[in-house]
Amino acid sequence: MIFKRSVPSRKAGRKIKFRDRYLPAIISITSVLAFFWLIRSVVVRAEQWPRIKAQFFDLDAIIIVFPRVLHGFGINMSVWSISLVVIAIWALLLAIFRSLQGPWFAPLRVFSIVYIDLLRGLPALLLVLLFGFGIPALQIPGLPNNSLFWGAVAMVASYSAYAAEVYRSGIEAVHDGQRAAAKALGLSQTQTLRFAILPQAIRNVVPSLLNLTVALQKDVALLSVLGIRDAVREAQIYTARTFNYSSLIAAALLFLVATIPLARFTDYVTKKDQERRLQKTT
Amino acid sequence: MIRKVLMLLVICSLYTVSALAAEGTNNPNLYQPGKLTVATGEPVYPPWMMDDNPAGGAGFENGLIYALAQKLGFKKEDVVWVRQTFDQGIAPGKKPYDFNIQQYSVTEARRKFVGFSMVYYKPEKAVVALPKNDISKAKTFKDLRKVRWGATIGTADLDYIENIIGKKDVAVYNDQVSTFQALLSNQIDATVISLPTALFVTAVQVPEATIAAVLPHDPNDLGHGLVFEKGNPLIKWIDKGLKAIIADGVVADLTSKYLIGNESIPEISR
Repeated sequence: MIFKRSVPSRKAGRKIKFRDRYLPAIISITSVLAFFWLIRSVVVRAEQWPRIKAQFFDLDAIIIVFPRVLHGFGINMSVWSISLVVIAIWALLLAIFRSLQGPWFAPLRVFSIVYIDLLRGLPALLLVLLFGFGIPALQIPGLPNNSLFWGAVAMVASYSAYAAEVYRSGIEAVHDGQRAAAKALGLSQTQTLRFAILPQAIRNVVPSLLNLTVALQKDVALLSVLGIRDAVREAQIYTARTFNYSSLIAAALLFLVATIPLARFTDYVTKKDQERRLQKTT
Repeated sequence: MIRKVLMLLVICSLYTVSALAAEGTNNPNLYQPGKLTVATGEPVYPPWMMDDNPAGGAGFENGLIYALAQKLGFKKEDVVWVRQTFDQGIAPGKKPYDFNIQQYSVTEARRKFVGFSMVYYKPEKAVVALPKNDISKAKTFKDLRKVRWGATIGTADLDYIENIIGKKDVAVYNDQVSTFQALLSNQIDATVISLPTALFVTAVQVPEATIAAVLPHDPNDLGHGLVFEKGNPLIKWIDKGLKAIIADGVVADLTSKYLIGNESIPEISR
């Protein structure tokens, strides 16, 4: 996929020349290698490189800190997967509220608009601090007092505002004719949504939602400000204790292991989606 | 042969010149020759520095710096303050100051990446909790292990809870303010903090909290030192100054002025 080249149409009896067949690949490989070699030589020649190497890429430190960072990463992943489900549902509800027609649904529409405006307009970090420190301080009986819980609620609150807008764009992208057709068939508003609009809308926005999923996977690290020892916080603790930054590399590797497959999957879904839209049948 | 000897002599003399040049208020190894450029945190916490104003001179750490500067031959106005985060102080690379003071604890692991001055102060540690909490009645380390702990990242306090008290799942906050917020909002039951900070916090900033106990000393915590870029030639000269003001009793005076309370607090033994 990396070595993209235009394949010359093969005419009967004409042999593909070496130039057409291998040259593009050779050029791609050499230019990539040359590029990284250039970066490497600039970095390695830097006067401070030995010090940076010792402070950031110390394999022994990475090995020592790895079990703790991995344990923290487990917290990242569990918060991520639970909030993902809640966000998917809550955001869809918000989007539906906003798309409902008729005067009786005005309160729901207003609620949804105000909610999205407020929570999308605030930095996620701010919400995490407000929810995580503010709500438990109220000490309302019956509400949980756990900072992990409230941190996750803050992430859900923030991300569902974004996701609701993504859903809404999907709903609005469905042609008006579909609504009219459903109505003509005698479907109620709920039935129209359920059977005509939403299936098309959701299929349209799956790639964008997956993008948000990747973003959320990393942003869960914001909960570390509440004292939660996720992967980033475990790495920071080691750094602060020893002044050795290699622990951050350990955390970075774990995040990459989780996010790169998801990013490739997003690419794949996007491509499939594009092919569907262009009515390709390959 | 003669050439080699001459070369050697030249090199030796260069060394002595540069060694000499690492002293004196105009020496070229200073970030700004003629000035003593000192970094500290933002904000700075009392009683280490009062009113978030290092240049005001009130407080233990800035008091110490002004006494040190005077000893080294600087005038008061020659001390320049810059604000740096904890992380900026330990990241590699050229620093826009001569050294950093913000209660950095000297440890052997850290010595690999930064230069430390001699230790100028060894704080005692205290347990801070809300008075209604059971931990206020704790008598032994076993009692201490029963509750939820929190501490501030980068401090020796966290190491104390994990290594000396022996509690593993400590919540770790970004700064002192967050740690106390967590205490007030009942996320944690107690925190360990150096006794001078504890005295100030419980008297002024968070009067709801009290010092439950004073803790025995941690042998791994060598005490507070100034942080330099690794291999900074100024360290020897600054250490001489520190030694002098400690011998003069200046540091002891600052300690009794800012860091010691007069109430008696029970000590917990192991």
